[in-house]
Order: sequence, then C-alpha cells, then structure tokens
Amino acid sequence: MKSLVIAARTGFSEIRAHKTRSILSFLAIAVGAVVFINAFSAICATYERLKKQKDVSGMARLKISQNNSRLFSSPDAEYTPPPAFTYEDVLLLKRKMPGLYMVSPEARDWHDVLEYNGRRVNTNLLGVAPDWIKRDFVYTLRGRFLNWHDMENKLRVCVLIKKAPLPPGNSFEKSMFKKWNYAAAFDTLVSHNDLLGKPVKIEGVNFTVIGILEELPASKRPEVMMGYSNSKDIQILAPVTTLTHFEFINARNSLDVSIDTGSEQTFEESLKLIKNFLKIRFGDEDSFIIENQMELIRERTEKSVKNSLMTISLGMLAFIAGGIGIMNVTLATVFARTKEIGVRRAIGANRGDIMLQFIVEAVLLGLIGGVLGSGIGYIWNGPVRVIFGMGGGAIEPWIPLVSVLIAAFTSFAFAIYPAWVAANLKPADALRAE
Amino acid sequence: MTISCRGLTKVYEGGKSGWPALRGISFDIGPGEFAAVTGPSGCGKSTLLNIIGLLDEPSGGGYFLHGRDVVKMSDLERSDARRDGIGFVFQAFHLLNRLTALDNVCLPMMYAGAPDKAIKSRAHELLHKVGLKGKEIKTPLELSGGERQRVAIARALANSPKIILADEPTGNLDSSSSREVMNMLLALNKEGITVVMVTHDRELAALAGRNIRMMDGVIES
Repeated sequence: MKSLVIAARTGFSEIRAHKTRSILSFLAIAVGAVVFINAFSAICATYERLKKQKDVSGMARLKISQNNSRLFSSPDAEYTPPPAFTYEDVLLLKRKMPGLYMVSPEARDWHDVLEYNGRRVNTNLLGVAPDWIKRDFVYTLRGRFLNWHDMENKLRVCVLIKKAPLPPGNSFEKSMFKKWNYAAAFDTLVSHNDLLGKPVKIEGVNFTVIGILEELPASKRPEVMMGYSNSKDIQILAPVTTLTHFEFINARNSLDVSIDTGSEQTFEESLKLIKNFLKIRFGDEDSFIIENQMELIRERTEKSVKNSLMTISLGMLAFIAGGIGIMNVTLATVFARTKEIGVRRAIGANRGDIMLQFIVEAVLLGLIGGVLGSGIGYIWNGPVRVIFGMGGGAIEPWIPLVSVLIAAFTSFAFAIYPAWVAANLKPADALRAE
Repeated sequence: MTISCRGLTKVYEGGKSGWPALRGISFDIGPGEFAAVTGPSGCGKSTLLNIIGLLDEPSGGGYFLHGRDVVKMSDLERSDARRDGIGFVFQAFHLLNRLTALDNVCLPMMYAGAPDKAIKSRAHELLHKVGLKGKEIKTPLELSGGERQRVAIARALANSPKIILADEPTGNLDSSSSREVMNMLLALNKEGITVVMVTHDRELAALAGRNIRMMDGVIES
C-alpha cells in the first residue's frame, strides 16, 4: 500500500517534470480513445437502428409474391401462365389460419389521373385490404380506413396519403427529389384542399374520399430512418376488390401479400403452414417467393456483428499503437532513471516496488490520456457532429468510461515489460549508471 | 559476527574469462566495529562494499550477515535485509533531487511500510540530529555538499540499521565538511552501529578502529 503511495507520488512528479514527454504520451493514448469511442458510437447507432427495425416491422413478418422468373421465362405456344395469388386465396388463407395477425394483399396501378373540382393530377394507386393499416408505418388518420364491408361490396371509396415535408438531405438529394417528384401536383392539391368526404374521379370512375392518412415528419418515422418505405410512391389507397372490379388491376395478376404471424414464437410453425397452403393450393410452392423478415433481420444482425468486430478491432489497434507509445516512453524513462532505480533499491525498495512504480506511472499516463481522449471523442461525436450537420452519434455514458478503463489497462499491459526490465536491474549496476 | 566473509570472489563479465575484481577474500567484522577499507583505485573496495551491502552478489565464496547465509537468500529477502539492517552513504550522495530533504529521509521508512505520522516525526528527528533543522523542505540542489551528505546520513539511519556502509563518504567534500561527516560516523559507531567505510584518505582511515588494506582483489593486511 505504501509503495503504491510512493509510486503514485513519484509518478505525478515525473509527469509534471517531463511535460513534453507526458503530453506526447497522453496524445498517443488519447488518439486510441477517440478512435475507440467513434467505433463504439457507430456500433451503438447500428444496433439502435436494428432494434427500431425489429420493433417497428416486427420479426414475424413475411411477404408472398409471384416468382417473376416463371412469368417471363417460357414464351412458347404451350405457355400456361403461372398460378396467381388472388383475393379469394387471401380470404381462404385467412379462414384456414385465423391466428395470423395480418394478411395484407396489395396491387399497384401506376399513373392514374385523379380529378377534383376540375383539376387533374397524376397519382399512383394501391389496392389494399383493411389489414394494411396493421403494418408498421405510422400515420395519423382522419376519417376512417377501409373495412371488410367496403371489400365485399367493392365500394368506390379511397383513402388519400398526405405527404410529410421532405426530410433534410443534401442539395443533390433535394434536387433529384424535386426533379422526379411525380406526385408534386397531387401533394399540392391535397395540402391545399380538405378532400375528406369529397367525391373525386380516378380515371373517370367516381370515388369518395373516406379517410386521409397524414404522414408524420420523417424524423418520427422509423421506416424512413431505416432507409426503406414501401409506400413512398403511393398517393391513393382503395379496396383491391374495387380496383379489380373496375379493371384498374387485371384480375389474373397475382397479389403481393404481406403477412404478420403475430409473434416470433409462432413464426416457424406459421411459415410451414403457409408453405403447405401454397403447395396444396397451387401444386408447387416455387411459383411464389417468400421473403422472410426474420431471416433478413437475422442476416443484418450477423452482418452488423461482423462490422462491429471489424470496427472494434480498429479501435483496439489504435489503443495498441498508443500502448506501444507508452511502452517506448516507459522504457526510455527506465534508462534515463537507472541511477534512481539503484538508489531506491539501495535504500530498501524491492523488485515489486520498482515494478509498481513504473507501472503506476504508465497507468497514470494512460488514465489522463484516456480521459483526454474520451473528452475529445465525446465532443467529436456530439456537438461537433451536430455543428457540421452530421447528426449526433449515439454516445452512451458508459462508452467514455470503458474507453478510459481500456486506456488504463492498455498502459498497464504495455508497461509490464519496461517495468520488468527496471525491476531486474542489479542494484550495483544501476547505481553505477550515469 | 556481524559480517563474515569466506573466500569471496567476484568476476565481472567481459573478455574471455572475465575480469576478477575479488580473488578470495575472508574476514570478519564484529558488532560495533569501525572498519576502514583502503587501497588504490580498482583494487575491489567498492565491489566488496556492494557485496557486503547486498547490492551485488559474489561469484563464489560465502557471506554471512548476522550469521545468515546471504547466498541462499532470495532477492526479496535481500531487499528486506538491506532496507531494515543496512544504511548506505555514497560518495555522490545519491539523493533524489526532485524530493525535499525530508522526503528523502522518509523514503526508506515508506518502503518499510511505517505509519505516516511516525515516518514524519522520525525524519524530523534525524534531520535535527545531523544539524539540518530548518532545511527540511529544501531540495538537495539547494544544499551544500556537506549538507547533502548529512541528509544522506539521516536517510541511512532512517530504519535504525545495525550497519552503516559508507563508500568514500568524504570524497566529494571539502576538508571541514569531511571532518564533520567523519565525526558523525564516529559518533554513530559509539552508539553501537557497525561502520564499514571505504576510503582513500589515510588520515580518516587512521581514525577507524580497524584497517583492511586491499590490493588487486585480495586483502594485504
């Protein structure tokens, strides 16, 4: 205990006495801490995103769509079109598997003209069923959404989507968006007129607007943060039955069906049953592709674990570089203070005392450097990023703490050899040193 | 016997067969003796003192300190024996220049793990004893050569050793300081401390109760 006090005292006085050397050592280890904090905050951000994705889209999600390769690959006379997943199949699936939380068929129709009050704008149309509202994306709804009554009776009702203002992006993204914003006129129409309850014409067919879905700002929509949003091109939702009836959609076309089995526990079992359903209903399951969200998230998680290890190893490399710096400085210190080592041994210090002295000194360098680097890393990942508009990195309070501990530990580890050298000097030889 | 050497040899590495500094030295020093080791430069005086002080190990022969076989002691045991039983006074003082006189004197007691209060009061007492009252917070660089050597003596006495080993303690001092330091060593010897002093100075050697004259690694008389 006493030797620790001596070591700490000597350490501080040595650090004070050799300012340049100490500052360089601090920097060596601080750089490691900065890199490490950057790496860790990047990893945290990735996991945060993955977690949100899981929370929002759910693990137990899958999507059935027609296998397009079958659709186009046999242009001969004998060609019979591959089976299509129809609205009747959706109803049948729901009847067979009532436990499914969501069975949401959809079919698109592009470039429809919407007419309101003499104004005509271009829109895209999506045929859906009531389950569509159970999906991930967050809207506020005014009016009501489509219901099964609308479906059965093929009512000409529709729900409009009012877009949120553009998320901040760079000027290139903004100009590209402007250039390709097919729905600009629609957006203007919807934002300037309250169409709820109003009659509109879509490709000449009369519809009534029964609901308006207002998008939340991009910052509050996880699907935007995660870089996907499969409704971004859609302006109008209508019953898929109505759209088929009025021939917006070809009745022979296959529907895409998104399914939520309700929970992760039942996912595998449900997947098996759905595959079975496809097999019995269509003779072979290869006519359809099943996109497995669970698998996707698992793969993404695996990938980010790999990336994290890569990033962490970079951080560790930076620490090792810093540690080598500390080792170098400590070795130089040992040789510069050989005589002092001799004196201390002569007046009673044992090998352990000497070893402790150099290790404590290095750990002090590492601790101070680690605190310094954590501070820089924190500022770099927080305020500086915000000032430069890069978005703040997610810094948990334990990250700087851990990086200070690693800095101290690295210094400790790299000081062992120089300290061992110091401890093993023969007192008589050390005393003779000049 | 306090110190008992039997056929001590020391060969330094270098050259084909090494360089022999000590070539079979045997002597005894009893408790309370004052022995001066004299001889020309390079005769092995300092090597002998280092071995007696457990700072170096002999290449051969036996060395018994208070009857204990030093050759069989571990490094830790040697360190402890050195810390608790031997005080060193060097020609070049070997004080730590970054520490105050007081802290230099405290150091051996700190390594011994004594309580803080006891360390401080003993250090003050020792500095007072060597006539350096009021200079406790001066660093060695602010003191004269004689004063530095007195700090070194105070430090040597810190853990109340039974032996003081002095290697040319007056070598860097003027004659009046030399006399003071010598008187101090003689006084300590009167208190019962065994003193072994290496010196060139025949006058000083004559003040010691016993003379060990060395030549080329052996004892002449």
